[in-house]
Amino acid sequence: MNFKNLSLIVITLLMVMVLSFSAAAQDTLVVNTYTSDPAPRKAMKELVAQYEEMNPDVDVELNITAHEDFKQAIRVWLTSDNPPDVFSWFAGNRAGYFVDRGLVMDITDVWEEENFYEKFPKAFQSISVYDGKAYFLPHNYYWWSVFYRESIFEEYGLEEPQTWDEFLEVGETLKENGITPFAIGTKFRWTAAAFFDYFDMRINGAKFHKDLMAGKIPFTDDRVADVFEKWKYLIENDYFIENAAAYSWQEALQFLNSGDAAMYLMGQFILDATSEEVSKDLDFFRFPIIDKEVPVAEDLPTDGFMIPKKAPHPELAKDFIAFLGSVEGQRLFAEDLGRLVTNKNMDAEVYDGLTLKGREMIDNTDELAQFYDRDMDPELADKTMDSLMAFWYAPENYRNIMEEMEAHRQNFIND
Amino acid sequence: MELSLHQKKRIRQGIIFMALLIFTIVWLLPVFGAVLTSIRTMDDIMDNGFWSLPEAVTFKNFATAWSEGNLNTYLKNSFIITIPSLIGTLALSSLVGFALAKYKFKGNMFIYLMFVAGMLIPFQILLIPVFRLSNYLGIYNNYWGLIMIHTVFQMGFCSFFLRNYMITIPEELSEAARIDGASEFKIFYKIYLPLSLPAIAALATLEFTWIFNDYIWALVLLRDDRLKPVTAGLATLQGNFITSWSVLVAGAILATIPTVVVFVFLQKYFIRGLTMGSGK
Amino acid sequence: MKRKYIPWAFLSIPLTFYSIWVIGPTIYTMYLSLTEWDGMTAPEFQGIDNYLKLFNDPIFYTSLVNNIKWLVIFMAIPVVVGLFLAILLSKEIKWARGYKAAIYSPMILAPVVIGLIWSWIYQPQGGLLNNTLTYIGLEGLTRGWLSNPNTALYAVIGAAVWRHTGYVMLLFLSGLTAISPTVIEASRIDGASAWQRFRYIILPLLKPTTVIVIVITMIQSLRAFDFVSMMTRGGPFNSTNVLAHYMYTEAFKNYNMGYGASIAVVLFAIMFIFIVMYLRQIRKGELE
Repeated sequence: MNFKNLSLIVITLLMVMVLSFSAAAQDTLVVNTYTSDPAPRKAMKELVAQYEEMNPDVDVELNITAHEDFKQAIRVWLTSDNPPDVFSWFAGNRAGYFVDRGLVMDITDVWEEENFYEKFPKAFQSISVYDGKAYFLPHNYYWWSVFYRESIFEEYGLEEPQTWDEFLEVGETLKENGITPFAIGTKFRWTAAAFFDYFDMRINGAKFHKDLMAGKIPFTDDRVADVFEKWKYLIENDYFIENAAAYSWQEALQFLNSGDAAMYLMGQFILDATSEEVSKDLDFFRFPIIDKEVPVAEDLPTDGFMIPKKAPHPELAKDFIAFLGSVEGQRLFAEDLGRLVTNKNMDAEVYDGLTLKGREMIDNTDELAQFYDRDMDPELADKTMDSLMAFWYAPENYRNIMEEMEAHRQNFIND
Repeated sequence: MELSLHQKKRIRQGIIFMALLIFTIVWLLPVFGAVLTSIRTMDDIMDNGFWSLPEAVTFKNFATAWSEGNLNTYLKNSFIITIPSLIGTLALSSLVGFALAKYKFKGNMFIYLMFVAGMLIPFQILLIPVFRLSNYLGIYNNYWGLIMIHTVFQMGFCSFFLRNYMITIPEELSEAARIDGASEFKIFYKIYLPLSLPAIAALATLEFTWIFNDYIWALVLLRDDRLKPVTAGLATLQGNFITSWSVLVAGAILATIPTVVVFVFLQKYFIRGLTMGSGK
Repeated sequence: MKRKYIPWAFLSIPLTFYSIWVIGPTIYTMYLSLTEWDGMTAPEFQGIDNYLKLFNDPIFYTSLVNNIKWLVIFMAIPVVVGLFLAILLSKEIKWARGYKAAIYSPMILAPVVIGLIWSWIYQPQGGLLNNTLTYIGLEGLTRGWLSNPNTALYAVIGAAVWRHTGYVMLLFLSGLTAISPTVIEASRIDGASAWQRFRYIILPLLKPTTVIVIVITMIQSLRAFDFVSMMTRGGPFNSTNVLAHYMYTEAFKNYNMGYGASIAVVLFAIMFIFIVMYLRQIRKGELE
């Protein structure tokens, strides 16, 4: 009967499939990262090549996934029976999330053996060590600041402002000359969150800011109103390009490039995104001081690495982690990418130009934060960033916005 | 009289021709935009805007996309995943379509609805359950995990499509064959399948683009880059902060070439299938 | 083999696979909608809490309304334009193949690139749309299409329509090729006008194709996801959010698998009702 034949064929096919399951096991170190931007991708590849050269018997398989997708895929990887051996991840709330759920491996032994407690600045311990155990290897970080076109500042005889009043003067001069002070693309919201971070840290200080991010302080607090007041002033006085929400941050760069806008509150990676000519013309200054009494704090998003609890090759993975914490394992990121790295023993010569200036700025910083959506619970961050966008459209309604953000916080607490 | 009718027709055709031409040019503007983006440098885009004419034409983006996006590996993977899935889903669905179209039996409507329901599921929600299933079966991070979900998930639509087509095939044909002593399977294989070829070809075209363009399943069911399809390769050309748009678009254009080939191929098949169908 | 087993013999293998990969996970999802789950640790059963939350969630309603707008526009524009183009191009027209290829072309372009290019078309400054409007003297209409909460949804749908029209045309073309030209020729000789031929001959003969097109269009508009995720991620403040995208954000970005599952179940139920109603209508027609 023909049915039988067909069934036989299908069953045979099934058998072949079942047999082909066993193709997975090989002895390579699997490293999954989100370094998909052109420059970090190259640096990561070279870093892996360097490690392979130092360890000829180890084969490293590097898998690079786009950042947003990585965040989703990682949950699958961590719960599968076959996770990667090492993965890149963000310091802060996002790292804590996996630690709380017991999905990542304790790497205290690596920290002890390599003496990372001494080799990294103290500030990095607080983001890596949970209940006395280290889970995270902080690798590199970048600073946020106000980047600006030197040529435009020169043309109008402007100097880097240090205080809020000086900053407003700069802004007024620019506007008088038909230049928008800030380029910004808020389509994906986080660029707006940066302004919230900075106003909050400058007005209320890092302690308050961290508690607010952690959901410990109501958003209806009057001190949050101060943040919106200052921010509202900038929005209402045309400090930002029109229709900012139509652009991704990278698309909005065109205004900085064309000279229609003079400044951009952004992370160091802005230097990789502009054309060479414009890059040379960029300099930066610290987000202006609003209240002298408040200790200076900066957003310093830190990227690092973790090992999944079920990593198939924990020993190899730990060795790779140790390498990533060493001067050798960080040099490329400092030298070629202009990122700041965590190992204090990195020779100062590798930093040049703006990176050096960035390092100096951080050395004179009292407190550090990660970034709005790295410090906050993901859902709360997602919901409140929508509120920030609503604020952008109707800044006079900030009291309502605060109520709305508070409602989200209440949901977060109750969950 | 004869002549003026002819003239009228020519004028009308001329108008249609012009209207179509203009419509098509406007329709293609985004495609031109894509091509324009792919042949210029990022610095050029950043300095002059997206819709300006390029300062200089370069084909370097294609080379970069090919090597950075690992397109040769990824394209190969795309075919390894798409072709078996396509064959599998068409084979299984034609069995379902035939059974549902040909036989009246208790449960027919229920099963039909079940397949209809299958195509309505917002598939994103199945990602984690199916991942767990694949992990349990040991086909996670393996081509088979992807092939299976594509094959089975696409059955919903394909069965619906083929059942609706096969129900139009007249019963007399199979009656005649049955009298000649043909088995039920033979009726399926020798009558229904050939007569459904135009439908299957149309379906195959659609399904090919759907399976080939899938990205989310690949993201969740595969861990290693060496196994991923070309959509994943394109996705890694998108950065966290910085995307080289020109390279991304160049990569996407390269990735469409196989689809174009399949389209051209299936179009021919379409027509052949049709002539077979009308030759009955 | 007994006659009543015959259909089951054909169905056995497909149904086995289907149960494992689709029905099982779907039932599991329904269960998940009654739990609180981060997708990693064990799900926690909590009854209908997610649904109660859902029915008080303003974003859910915004997304639902957006889906309905999407559905209405998708039924109106791509279906009609696609049918029109298919009929036009099924005739012997100069360069018909070229036109067909041009109109399909969006189908084969990666969605991420379509999203990117369309974002640039809508760009407020220097975007193709605003430039064109300015050029033809309609400067008053220019705006930030994607940043304006009143236009953003329609702008996103515009890009989706562009792609979907190709699919519709393809399906109608395949339907038209199956219609014997002699039938149409006969009616022409009988003196039927172009509209009459279309209304009384072509359209009824195209009915099977039309069912497929309408069903696909419904599914595509209710499951709309790609373009929202690429062009706006639901913003500005959810004005372009749709249920599939909201579900995805909740389940995958905010780690609320349980809540995401409840959105999925509701979305599924809505589609199911729509489609079953439609198919019943069709079946009535088939029986008569």
